[in-house]
Formats: sequence, C-alpha cells, structure tokens
Amino acid sequence: MVYFILKRLLQSVFVMLAVALLAFSLFRFVGDPVSQMTGVETSVEDRERLREELGLNDPFIAQFARFTGDMLQGDFGFSYRTRQPVAEMIADRIPATLELGTVALIISLIVGIPAGVYTALRPRGFITQTILMTTLVGVSIPTFVIGIMLIFLFGVQLGWLPTFGRGGTVEIGGWTSSLFTIDGWRALILPALTLGVYQLTLTMRLVRAEMMEVLRSDYIRFATARGIPYRRLHFRHALANTMIPVITIIGLQFGGVIAFSIVTESVFQWPGMGLLFLESIRFVDIPVMGVYLVVIAFFFVLVNLLVDMLYIAIDPRLRVKEAA
Amino acid sequence: MRSRNLMWSAALAAVMATAGSAAMAETFRWAATTDPQTMDPHAVNAAPVLSFLNNVYEGLVRRGRDMSIEPSLATSWTPLEGENGWRFTLREGVTFHDGATFTAEDVLFSYQRASDEASDVRSWFAPVTDVRVVDEFTIDFVTNAPNPLFPDGIANFMILDSGWAEANDAALPARDAENYATRNTNGTGPFTVASRDPGVETRLVPHDGWWDTDRGNVTEAVLTPIGNAATGLAALLSGEIDFIEPVPLQDVAQVEGRDGFKVIEGEETRVIMFGFGHEHDTLLYSSDVTDANPFTDPRVRLAAAHAINIDAIDRVVMRGKIDAASQLVPAGISGYSEANADRPAYDPDRARELLAEAGYPDGFSFGLKCTNDRYINDEALCRAAASMFAAVGMNAELTTVPVRNYWEQLRADDFDMYLLGWSPGTFDAEHPIRFLLHSQDDEKKLGSWNFGNYSNARVDELLPQIQQELVPATRQSLIDEIVAITQEEVAYIPLYVQPLIWAMQDNIDVTQRADNFFMLRWVSVN
Amino acid sequence: MLARFWDSDAVWAFRHSPAAIVAFIVAVLILGGALFAPWLAQSNPYDLTTFSLIDGLLPPVWEEGSDRRFLLGTDDQGRDMVSAILFGARLSLLIGLMAMLIATVLGVGLGLAAGYYGGRFDAIVMRIADVQLALPAILTALLIDGIARGLLPPSSHENLRIVVLTLAIALSLWVNFARTARASTFVERNKEYVQAAMIMGQHPLRVMFWHILPNILGPLLVIMTVDLASAILLEATLSFLGIGLPADSPSLGTLIRIGMQFLLSGEWWILWVPTLFLVALVVSINILGDFLRDVFNPRLR
Repeated sequence: MVYFILKRLLQSVFVMLAVALLAFSLFRFVGDPVSQMTGVETSVEDRERLREELGLNDPFIAQFARFTGDMLQGDFGFSYRTRQPVAEMIADRIPATLELGTVALIISLIVGIPAGVYTALRPRGFITQTILMTTLVGVSIPTFVIGIMLIFLFGVQLGWLPTFGRGGTVEIGGWTSSLFTIDGWRALILPALTLGVYQLTLTMRLVRAEMMEVLRSDYIRFATARGIPYRRLHFRHALANTMIPVITIIGLQFGGVIAFSIVTESVFQWPGMGLLFLESIRFVDIPVMGVYLVVIAFFFVLVNLLVDMLYIAIDPRLRVKEAA
Repeated sequence: MRSRNLMWSAALAAVMATAGSAAMAETFRWAATTDPQTMDPHAVNAAPVLSFLNNVYEGLVRRGRDMSIEPSLATSWTPLEGENGWRFTLREGVTFHDGATFTAEDVLFSYQRASDEASDVRSWFAPVTDVRVVDEFTIDFVTNAPNPLFPDGIANFMILDSGWAEANDAALPARDAENYATRNTNGTGPFTVASRDPGVETRLVPHDGWWDTDRGNVTEAVLTPIGNAATGLAALLSGEIDFIEPVPLQDVAQVEGRDGFKVIEGEETRVIMFGFGHEHDTLLYSSDVTDANPFTDPRVRLAAAHAINIDAIDRVVMRGKIDAASQLVPAGISGYSEANADRPAYDPDRARELLAEAGYPDGFSFGLKCTNDRYINDEALCRAAASMFAAVGMNAELTTVPVRNYWEQLRADDFDMYLLGWSPGTFDAEHPIRFLLHSQDDEKKLGSWNFGNYSNARVDELLPQIQQELVPATRQSLIDEIVAITQEEVAYIPLYVQPLIWAMQDNIDVTQRADNFFMLRWVSVN
Repeated sequence: MLARFWDSDAVWAFRHSPAAIVAFIVAVLILGGALFAPWLAQSNPYDLTTFSLIDGLLPPVWEEGSDRRFLLGTDDQGRDMVSAILFGARLSLLIGLMAMLIATVLGVGLGLAAGYYGGRFDAIVMRIADVQLALPAILTALLIDGIARGLLPPSSHENLRIVVLTLAIALSLWVNFARTARASTFVERNKEYVQAAMIMGQHPLRVMFWHILPNILGPLLVIMTVDLASAILLEATLSFLGIGLPADSPSLGTLIRIGMQFLLSGEWWILWVPTLFLVALVVSINILGDFLRDVFNPRLR
C-alpha cells in the first residue's frame, strides 16, 4: 500500500508538470498580456519595454523553465493584473471554491443515491417518472440559465436569498469559511444547488442503472430464493455492488464540480478560484492562470488517488491483485 | 471547547453585521463590472483605476460636473513668462489622509514617480522638459513647446505624499511585484480606503480633514465588482446594491418600470466607428477579390458609409438610446466641428452606384472584425452592420473576438474592416487626431491606434499647429479643415456616441459625468 | 417480414411505452427539422440578405404587435426564430453527435485496454486522463482554437470554429468513458468467462470487444446519452464564456447565450424558444437512450 501511494505520488508530479507545460503552451493564444496591462495612451516603445521586462520575448522553453524552476522553489510569482503574489491570491480563493464544491457534491450524493435506489426499485412508479423527468429537464437547461433563474426567483421575486457573493464569512486559522454563519449558508444554497444539479442527475441515473443490473443478476436472484429479506438484500448486497462505477463517477464529479464551478462562480459572483481564473483569462494574467491549473491538477491527482484507494478498500479482489 | 468559541464568534459576527448596518444609514453600496486592478495611481492607465482613485487621490486640477477644468490642489495656473510651460499656485492647508501636509515637494515627487519608466501614465508628461519647485506652494512645469492643453491633460495626475511613499518603499509604481502603494493609499481626496479585498470588496470612509465641502452624506461606501450583467441587475433589484453601471440597454425599461428605482441616461464621450485597412494591398478575408483592396478607393468607403442604416441600429440594437456621430468626437467636446456635423445618409442605392463606379458592380466579400465584450452591444451592432453591408453587395465575413485578443490582431494588421470605440482622454478633438488620424509614427509616438494607417500629409502637417495654437478661433478652423478632409476621404465611418446608463435605488442622488467616472462625493443617500 | 418486425421484442416494448413513443416522435421531428432546415425554414440565418434589422424583436404571433410572417417572433437581428432554431438544432446535433462519437471511441478504447492490460499502460492512460481532467473544457477549447489559428490561414478560421469546438468538447468528455470502461473492465476481467476466453488463447482485442464490452455497456450507454446532452450544453456554456461559435452561425447554445440578454427585457421568446427546444431535444434523447438500454441489454433477455 505504501509503495502504491508513493508510486502514485511520483506519477502525480509528472501529471502536474504536463499540465503546466500544456497550460504554458496555450497561454500565448489567450491574448496579449501587455495590451491588458497598459492604457491606450501608452507608447509602443513603453509597451515593448514592459514585454521585455516580463520576459515575454524569451523563447517558450525559457519561460516555462523559469516558471517551473521558481515554482519548485516555492516562488509562485506575481499577478500581471494586480501585481500581488499569486500564491496568496489563489490561497485566498481556495476555501470559497472547496466549500461550494463540497456542499454541491454532498447535495448530489445525499439526494442522488437514495433517489437512484428508489427509482431502481420502483421503476414504473409515478414518483419515479416524475423524478426522472424533472432532473432530466434540470440538466437540459444550461447552468448559466438555471443560475440566473434561481437568482431572480429566490433573490429578486421572493427576496429570500442573496443574489451574489458569499454572505457572512468567518476566518478560522487563515481559512475564510461561510459555513458558520446563517448568512453564509443562505448565500451558499443557490450556487451549490446550481452546481449540484448536473452531478445529482448523473449520480442518480448511474446508481439506478447499476442497481437495476445488479438486481437482475444471478446471485441476487439466488439470495431472493434463499429468503433473505428485501431490505437487507437491496441495501447490503445490491447497493454495495453498484459502488465501483459510482465511486469512479464521484471521483470524476469532483473534477467536474471544480471545472463547472467556473460558470457557477461567475453567475453568482462567488469569490472562488474559478472566478479568479475567468478574470485572469480576461486580463491574460499568465502567472495566475498557470498556478491555478497546477493547483487544480494537484486536486485531481489527490482525489484520484483517494478513489483508487477506496476501490481497494471496497473490492477485496483488487486488494489481492495490488498485493501480488 | 474550540468549536464552541467558534460558533459564538460566528454568532457575534452576525449580530455585529446587523447592528452595523442599522447604525450607519448612509452606507452606499455600488457595483462595477471590473475591480480596479491596483490602488496605485501611476501603475495602470485604465478607466476603472483612475475612476476609483479619483475619490481617494487628487490632482492639481480636477474636472467638475460638466467636465470643465477647475482648481483642486492648485488654486490657479498661468503660462510661464519667457519660456513654454505653466506655473501652478498650490492650495495651502491641505493634509493627506495620514495627517502629513501637502507641499510642492509632493508634486515634484509625484511628477518624478508618474513620469518614470515604471509608470503607465508617463505619456501625459511627454512634453514636459523640467519641473521646478519655486517655493513651498508654487511649482513650474516647463514644456518643449507652447502647450495650451497641458492642464487639461493632467486632470488625472494624482498626487502622493512623498514622505509616505518613501517610508514604505513605494517611491516608484510597482512593475512586477507589488509594493505598499498597490493595496494601500494615502491621498488628499474626500475618501480614504478603509479595507480592501481585491476582486471581492473595497470599503471607503470619508476623510474628515478634506479641504473642500462639496460632498454628499455618504459615511461608508462599499464597492463590489460584479462581472455578470444579469447578476448585477438582480443585486440592484433585490436591494443588496444601491447603484449599478452599466445597465444593459434592453433592461432599462424594466428597471424604470419598477417602483423604487431610477435610471439616469447620458452620453459618454466615446464615439463608435468602423476603420479600414487603408494600407493593405489585398483583402485578407475575401473569397472573390484576392488581388486588390477595394477599401483603398474612397468611393468604396463612402459606399460602406451609405449602407449603414443608423436609425434602424438605434431603434432595434440600441433601443433608441444613441445619437448618430459625424466625426470622431461627439458634439460638446472642445474642438467639435459644427461646420461638418452631417454624416452620410442611409442610401443603399447610392452605395451600389458607388461600388459600380469603383469597379465592383457585383460587390465583393471582405472580413469585418469586431469585439464582443468591449463596447455596449458591440456584437449585435456588428451583426446588424454585416447584414446592412450585405444588402448592398458587400458581403462581410464577421469575426468577433474578445478584447484580450483584439488589439493584438489589429496591430498585426489582421483585418479588412474593424470596429473601434474612442474616447478623447483630454476631452478635446486633438486627441483622436493624434491617435487615430495622424500617420503611424513610432518615433514621435503618433498614430499609435491608427491601425489601418490612414495617412494624409495635410493632416500630419496640421496636428502640431493645433497642439500649439493659442487662439481658439484659429485652432477651430484648423480642426475643421482636418474633419472636412477625413470626412471627404471617409478615413473612418463614425457611427454613434456610446450611451451611458446608470441605475440606482430611488433614494440615491448621483451626478453623471461624461467620462463615466464615478464620483462618490456627489452621491447622497436620502 | 413487416409483421415479424412489428412483433419483435423491441417493437413490442416500444409500442407499450408511451414515454418512448412521445420521445421518439419529438426526436424524429427535431431531427427531421434539423436535417431539412434549408428547405423548411423561410429564411436562412447564414444568408444575411434573407432577413432585415427592420423586422427585429417581433413577438410570436399570439402576442400583440406580432407579424404573421414570423410564427415564433424574431430576434434582435430580425431573424425568424423558427428558422433560427431549425438551423440551430442542425448545428448543435452535428457538434454533439460528432463530439460524443469521438469521445466514445477514444474513451472506451483506451479504458478497455487500460483495464485489460493494467500495469504500466493503465498508469499512463490514467495519468493522461488526469491531465485532461485538470484542464477545464474552456482551456481545451482555447488550446485547440489557438493551435488551429496558428497553423491555418486567417480566412479559414470561421469555418474551423465548428471543428475546433467539436474536438474540444470530445476531448473534455472522453475521460468519463475511459474511466468508467476501465473500472468495469477491472471487475469483468476477473470473472470466469473472461478468464476462460483468455486461457483459450483468444486474441486480446476479441476478448475486449467481444466478451467484455457487451457486459459493460450498461453504464456506458448511460454516459453516452447523458454526454450527448452535455456535449450540446457544453457548447452553450463555452458560448456563454465567450469561446463558442460566432453569433452569426446559430447553434442552440449560441441562440440561448444571445437570448440571455433578453431575460428581463420583455422579449422572452428570444431566450425561451431555443431553451425549450433544447430541453425537448435533450430530454427526448435521454428517454430514448434509457429505453434502448433497457431493451437491448443482453442480461435482460
């Protein structure tokens, strides 16, 4: 197990390097940072000088080497847009994104798994059909439309919830959290729901599909014949067997949640990493974009590692294989 | 134990938040689409920064409600005798937010800081050859030639306290890494920055020792950037925000129709226009004319102008909020040419005739390049224009790109025709002549936004005369001549003046200025 | 012959599932409309001379101030909404189907092989998947767009947007297929029937595609239907973020993005006509997908 983790950690370094390399190779297509950093009246000569100072005239490989070299020494550079240290800017925004993503994921799981089981057990029921249709319509409307509709319904028409931002936040040891105030939760509901609806539908449909397969399999039929109670059968035997693909997807979902949080954060002006990233694209803030992508890559690697470890914990057959 | 503390402090924070808002009735919350990138007045020459910092810092002169120049940290200014330049007499008894006294040394220091290579506003000081402190409250700016517009050109030149900047290692604007002045301020202006969370929230409170009295009743002001227009509108309608700008044109009627809100409409000084690749030998994006550039023929450019139905654009795309433009500055700006206030009428038949005369009876196809996130409804405008061009046989291949890619592509001559909006920074007709009409000349720093390199020897000859002419009538006749030439040659197709639309709660009073700067001191909460 | 088809299991199941019948009709109508858009639509959104700004912002015929020529009204450019959504569906379906097919072939192929061979090959594929996941779709789109821009002459860019967008969407979707296929393959390859096939010396490709693939189709089909929908939606989202198709080649996503500007302005039809059309399309695809999965699942027989 230790060897497995070490091996994966080593691989993850390569993943992050690859992401950084890919990211760097595309930055020059995002736009021209110097045009965004200077005013209309700035002379061509001054603009050229700035370009030179920032090292943007250096060959691509030299720029990449400098970026990774600095990063390995813990120097994440400074934003072109705000001139602030990038490490600090990203670190400030991490809590907002993680809290939003986690709450969205939890919503999608605590609603999605039971709904999936229910709709599998009663495939023809009226409630099942309603659930399936509603969620289908939910995922058929683009996220940004849903977000704005929710804002106008709950924020403007009903006036129950705030329309933007994080509400009341509390700082705990450098982590700015909105989970400890009522205001914070009020602000969190709509974006988390918007972000979670797609994941919820996916989880539910996946659990349902797997569950239906398993229920038809021989060993469940056999167990039914043996007279094992339905409740135990459904939850202990059937559900457990649906978990491998479900865990895979949940691992993926966290990725999806982080990636899609870009749109949700932009609609709700949620001050997370995704919003920062969008602003950075707009200003061609290369250092921030670079670090953001590497940080995201790190999250992915971490989550995937956890998912793979969970596999081993759930499916003993894989444990034997890894050991061998 | 720890978690209990935590819950308690959370509860306390919530209580304090409510108590706080109840006690301060004059808290004013406003939203802008972009957060000012920096708090350093010399680091970035961009509207969001200058607009915001004008509430915190002040210059020697400032612009009043009608954009006229009025005394600020200087009480008066006169041309120097015996040499070119201006003498500024400074206001006495002005203090910075930290209590330091304002003197001529601060002006000299700020000049040096703002004209340094590390500054992005140094172009304002291009004509300055020397700055001399005469006494504690008198300072001379010497220029290389007579420069009647110099005081107008430095209305956004903001003064820092030399002692504060030097003590905090901020003697120069931050170039790559931030310095103290990037997030902290110490100006003489009516408001001081109480806290700042970049990209999230910036709080301002009044500066008690401010020298002037022309200030509303705001006791706390909070700026929140909201990038998404619909979200901003929702925040206004839900009452969480008191003021937003800009309001999408199509939503104005809805906001006005609701109780408790009002909309102020005005005109920005920005003129929206189409430019041509005057110098290109061939079209880049054409499928039929590949060996020539029809736009080098003024008749073709005039045909394009006649193809535009500005009234239809006004009614459908701009919701009746625009005024058509005839030249590169709007009426009301100094130097506006009354003598040339007509624009080519919408006349598709004439356009087809002109095309036939120029040798394109069947028209031709070309590339039209536009932004999609820079000007109000820019994409819709260009789509409408492309359809109008097509109606006379000029088939426009429309490409819309975000502004972050746009200037780069224009500088690389990657266009046949393009969209541009121009706001004269000095509020004078000379500004667009310098940047858009003079031939490209990197050495003299002229024509730097003349992407298609429109070039006319007479225009180039007239520009320096305009810059130095002191007699208004003579100056105007020179400008009139340039406007006549460029209209005759259709150097650009000026379309309209961009509208300026602000929306707010009914109990808010503001003053809208044509440069779209937001002055907190003119805000009152009733 | 026809009678036999009529009586077959699948058709019998179909005849007895009202939801599937409705979905089928809707999908066929939309597909037909999309396919024959150039002949059905009264104006062509690509031909700028077939519409005029003068006709802009007209409401649907049942509202006041409408024009009989435009059944569902016009948008801010004077385009007929009916024509716009027909052409829009054409483009969206093309992009969605192509992207999904590319993603499926790429993802399932790599996932099967990774699960079958395991070891180093598996590690490499999964790490590539990680890299892909870490790059949000918006960046993948920017990257492909940028490379295309750099390699090809400027006049071909507009036509390329569709290819670029399709590839970008496919690339951000293939990982789902790969990881699901891999996880299921891991489980399947340890089962007796696979082991038996391997011991019998069957070619690995045959084992993978003949024996394993049919048994892992269940979850893959779910992903395929959901992903066809998300491919179409992703196109809308990229459009919202400013890197989708240009406004003058209307996909459903672009139409919705443009319609968003009119959410509050009173011209509701500019947003809701394409949105409801998209919902109808996506929902019917999903229902048909579910139905097909239930019917053709080998274990059900």
